[in-house]
Amino acid sequence: MSIIRTDSLAVGYGSKVVVDQVNLEALKGQIVCLLGPNGSGKTTILRTLAGFLSPLKGSILLKGQEFSGIDQRKLAKLLAVVLTDRPAPGLITVFEVAAMGRYPHTGFFGRLTTKDIKITMEALSMVNAENLAQRYFSELSDGEKQKVMIARAIVQEPELIILDEPTIHLDVKHKLEVISILKQMSQEKQITVILSLHEIDLALKSSDTVILVKDGKIMDYGCPEDVLSGEVIEKLYDIDMAHYSDQLGTIELCNQAKNLAFILGGGGSGSRLYRALNKHGYEILTGIVHQSDLDYFVAKSIGASIISEKPFEIIRKETYAAALNTLKKVDTVIDAGFVIGKSNERNLVLLVEAVRMKKSIYSLRQEKETRKLFQQLSADQYIERIIFCQDIADIVKKITLGK
Amino acid sequence: MEIIAKKTRRYTMVLTVLSVLLLLTFLLNVGLGSVKISLIQVFWEIKKMVFHQQAEQSVYRAIIGQIRLPRTLAAMISGSSLAVAGLLLQIFFRNPLVGPFVLGISSGATLAVGLILLAGVSFGLNTAIPFLIVLAAFSGSVLVMIVVLLISRKVKSVVTLLIIGLMAGYFCSSVTSFLMAFAEKEEVKGFIMWTMGSFSGFSWHKVTVLLLIALPILLATLLISKPLNALLMGESYAISMGVNIKATRLIIVLISSLLAGLVTAFAGPVSFVGLSVPHISKLCFGTADNKILIPGTALLGGIITGLCDLFARTVFAPIEVPISAVTSLLGAPIVIFLLLRRRNVL
Repeated sequence: MSIIRTDSLAVGYGSKVVVDQVNLEALKGQIVCLLGPNGSGKTTILRTLAGFLSPLKGSILLKGQEFSGIDQRKLAKLLAVVLTDRPAPGLITVFEVAAMGRYPHTGFFGRLTTKDIKITMEALSMVNAENLAQRYFSELSDGEKQKVMIARAIVQEPELIILDEPTIHLDVKHKLEVISILKQMSQEKQITVILSLHEIDLALKSSDTVILVKDGKIMDYGCPEDVLSGEVIEKLYDIDMAHYSDQLGTIELCNQAKNLAFILGGGGSGSRLYRALNKHGYEILTGIVHQSDLDYFVAKSIGASIISEKPFEIIRKETYAAALNTLKKVDTVIDAGFVIGKSNERNLVLLVEAVRMKKSIYSLRQEKETRKLFQQLSADQYIERIIFCQDIADIVKKITLGK
Repeated sequence: MEIIAKKTRRYTMVLTVLSVLLLLTFLLNVGLGSVKISLIQVFWEIKKMVFHQQAEQSVYRAIIGQIRLPRTLAAMISGSSLAVAGLLLQIFFRNPLVGPFVLGISSGATLAVGLILLAGVSFGLNTAIPFLIVLAAFSGSVLVMIVVLLISRKVKSVVTLLIIGLMAGYFCSSVTSFLMAFAEKEEVKGFIMWTMGSFSGFSWHKVTVLLLIALPILLATLLISKPLNALLMGESYAISMGVNIKATRLIIVLISSLLAGLVTAFAGPVSFVGLSVPHISKLCFGTADNKILIPGTALLGGIITGLCDLFARTVFAPIEVPISAVTSLLGAPIVIFLLLRRRNVL
């Protein structure tokens, strides 16, 4: 069932069109997410959908009814908002703030009935804020305030909630909490949610539909898994110093590196090292990593050169040779402490070769373990040449000193 | 549920205490002065008056009936009106520093009175009529109010409206300054005393008019407590909850301007009550819920203004100090003290 639908809607202020040709539809219980750079017009779209701005062109249909024809009180029962401005209502408790959502339902003096109180308490417990009920709203943290504002919207018992950047200024815990509350709300109460976000990963994981807004146009529209590719994101935000990985749903920064570092990784052991060294201005070469490995995706997204093997294959001779070739060009080699198994045994040989070539070797592996491994290959005389490091910070420090 | 009941008990208690204090203030105001009349005596005299018993003329009766009673009533109802007007505008502008005169109400009244007292403009009326100053002051405030209202229909943001009100105030003050510069010395002194406000010489005529207009407006304020509460969350949220913002705006400006203009017309611009009493009241009740706050602020406004007027006429007797001097002198430290105890009230 269509809750809200727009037809060639143009939004803006006065006669200035900010975004043109907005065609969107949200069904009952769906989450629709607007993504786009700052100033692209997300807020203008949302403010128009919420009725704060009049459409410049086109139409908005709320449950099949022309938006402008719905009277304000009825509209308040269909639609609630959570805005970016944080209200400062003074000496008002959390309960009272949430209970204000009953406004369109209560009588002339706004007296709360037992039912109103019950609905308010339920909404507060839905956002995990029932223990805050008697605190003053102004004493809460940003995250707690945001949850209470969502509870207030739920108390209004609308069919559609519009949220403008509900995760802005929140810490990771509250960001996730807010998103999971919204998901729960859309599933359990079948409330339709339209929101704008800056976190691509959260949009990907929470929404049914994403709308990409850029330069006064809707750039793309659809299911997030289809729409959100690395290229699209980079185009949407005009990113050239970073890569977006659609497999991982994360953004990695790139750099114009001067120093080379070869990282022996695999099994996810290298990912954090890639990021750390990339951040410190190293161009990363890595190998030998399987194409199904987490390290492979992370390395790819930061633009590292990868010597890779097909998924689940034992490393082939040719691949090994290519890796060895690359290794010769690099002075700094790092052992990420990868787990050694049948399929990647050659990586260990590669490490021993690197030591033999008198490269600067830094290692995150325990010294004891390394000794044992080198003994198996009867190469324990080289072990003194390896610089063992406790953690990534230690590696970064020692590499920088060793230069 | 339990906690809501507990809060209601607190509100009822504070409201009861304030009502008792208001009554006490009333009796004190009638009893104290150059002629001291005991509280019991005051009580009996008022009872006699109310029930029209014994028409004989005693001195007490004259003092109470003709002087102190109207003055006390006037001070109290004026205090209530100013305090409620201040509360409304503080919510409307979401600014704790706003008072009832922020929209230029008092400056408009002052200018109109200045025209009469300083420039001798009588608007074609006989200068001898007793209500001339009152009428002039009231029309001055209403005129400014109308101008501000007309502009407020055009502007979107309340801050703009606030600035327009301030500018209207400055404009009127500036014209008043011109008048003062060209006026005679004695006229200026009389004018300045008027600008500092006084409840002396309140006749029953004036009190009746004041009560008849102010009381219904004060009661009407209770009717808008629901949208006022919604406005605490800001205008956008209020609209989204179904508040008719244009009508509410109009009503708030109208009510607060009428209350403030009315008091100014009769007593001159009494400062500080409208700014400070809402804060004191919020701290007493520990809430910003207007269903409680409006009656509470009205009571407190009456008490505080009553006490200030008592102070103004008795402490330095026979000299009477202007009421505005006393309200600020006593009010400012109270507000600072309360705010330091409770930080995040604003």
